[in-house]
Amino acid sequence: MMTIFRYTLGKMLGQVAGWGLSLAILGGYLLTFYDLMLEQGGAMIQLIESYPPELLAFFGDMTKLLTPGGFLHTELFSYMPLIVGFFSILAGSGLLAGDEENGTLDLVLAHPVSRMSFFTGRWLAMLAAHLGIVGLTWLGLAVGTNWSAIDVTGAELALPCLSLLALLLCFACLGLFLSMVLPSRRMAAMIAGVVLIGSFFLTGLARINEHLHAAARFTPLEYYQGGEATSGLNLGWFFGLLGAAVVLTALSAVLFQRREIRVGGEGSWGVWRPKRNRAQT
Amino acid sequence: MQSSLAIETSGLRKSYGRVQALRGLNLEVRQGEIFGFLGPNGAGKTTTIRCLLDLIRPNGGTARVLGLDPQAASVEVRRRVGYLPGELRLDENLSVDGVLRYLNHLRGGKADWKSVRDLCARLDLDPKLVVKNLSKGNKQKIGVVQALMHRPALLMMDEPTFGLDPLMQREVLRLLWEAKSDGSTVFFSSHILSEVQEVAERVAIIRQGVVVEVADTASLINRALRRVRVSFSQPVDLSGLLSVPRIRLLSQEPTSALVEVEGEIDALVKALAAYPLRDLETERPSLEEIFLAYYTTGGKEAAQ
Repeated sequence: MMTIFRYTLGKMLGQVAGWGLSLAILGGYLLTFYDLMLEQGGAMIQLIESYPPELLAFFGDMTKLLTPGGFLHTELFSYMPLIVGFFSILAGSGLLAGDEENGTLDLVLAHPVSRMSFFTGRWLAMLAAHLGIVGLTWLGLAVGTNWSAIDVTGAELALPCLSLLALLLCFACLGLFLSMVLPSRRMAAMIAGVVLIGSFFLTGLARINEHLHAAARFTPLEYYQGGEATSGLNLGWFFGLLGAAVVLTALSAVLFQRREIRVGGEGSWGVWRPKRNRAQT
Repeated sequence: MQSSLAIETSGLRKSYGRVQALRGLNLEVRQGEIFGFLGPNGAGKTTTIRCLLDLIRPNGGTARVLGLDPQAASVEVRRRVGYLPGELRLDENLSVDGVLRYLNHLRGGKADWKSVRDLCARLDLDPKLVVKNLSKGNKQKIGVVQALMHRPALLMMDEPTFGLDPLMQREVLRLLWEAKSDGSTVFFSSHILSEVQEVAERVAIIRQGVVVEVADTASLINRALRRVRVSFSQPVDLSGLLSVPRIRLLSQEPTSALVEVEGEIDALVKALAAYPLRDLETERPSLEEIFLAYYTTGGKEAAQ
């Protein structure tokens, strides 16, 4: 299992460094704008209030922009799931199905490694990759506070990162689960991506349209606090997202255990096509 | 309990939707032999091997590998088996050495690395090269090395010489012989019938998911039809030959004839003693001809 873990994480290291360092630099850089925001507080609030509510809905409660949590959410954590979510979905959907589709899984599973060990090693590597990205983001933010007047401790900064981590894991595991039930990795990633984007818009629009509240409750993003978690992590939401990830992982593990490892597209879903009527001559 | 059979399947069935890949496959491979598995594309060779390694699960029948159930003891089976897939795919970003070390770690790092280096050298494979820069043949060599490097009790190889040049094909066949000499069982499928004829002690011919023939390679060739070209020193009347059992006159010229003999040639030689014989030339059928006969005549009659 450790060999699988090390090998998989090794393959992901480039992405972890790329995503993590980019977000760390972005986070640290954005914090320096907090001072400017405080200086121009009144004017900034007036400007924000002039924007249409449909636009503001996607960036949280912008009237709290001058609070550390509100600032972090609006400037960074509100759109973070949409950006890093695609890494999570691709990592999850490709975790097993990627190697199956490129044909390398066949040889690896012919070695004395149980499917459960293989699955666990891979999954732990995906978890470590997410911890790496979110951890680097936290580090960037923590370092950034040294050049900003924002009144937030390193521990408080960790809370929105934890909320983000739980959401990302939820989408990664959704991608993984879909890759086990759908005929291709691409299709799994596409559907998980649709869920992510749909979830983003639905939760945003639900803030201005109460008729959408009921539907928004079924989306993972509804339980994502983002920057607002600096004032206290909602443990129910946090563990709810992690619980969903665990359930999806368990289902994926069972499906992988029973899976017929494909090499040539056998077992794929047939695509229905209308029969052609041949003209008789 | 130690089984004398390395592979044993009984009534093995496997379907992919409506396509029946295996229709009750019965197969016995003895420990310590080199066994050739012949069949055209889609006959069920790869499906059989993948069922034996628990990569796919059969719909019916039983299978045992080295006396173990491949599903119940899949890890133990795979620990003792070296496998070369028919469609070998490797991590393109690793070096040859990296791939081999990774696969060796999956086996608990048990391979003797000096012998791995020796294997690479014999196959003219540079361990420092990156997989994505290798030709198909060189990738195949990695497959051969990884299957052999931990000295498995059973080698399952799907088209082991696929993509290799003739020199390397011979080297791989030598490696199979050496593996057998070290006590391994070798079970391999191939389209190249001459190589099966060269190394396999027994062969099975699979057709549409069913084994239609299992025999010693030599006896399969011996008992098959063979052609005898006879030439005479003067024109002869060959009507007397027609009464000889298991002989068929295929063509006849005044001083020559082409005769087809089923089984032993003794009766023909005795019958020809009555003629002014100048020359006699026998054409032994290759395994390829026998194999093709199974697919053109429906099987059984080709072996008789």
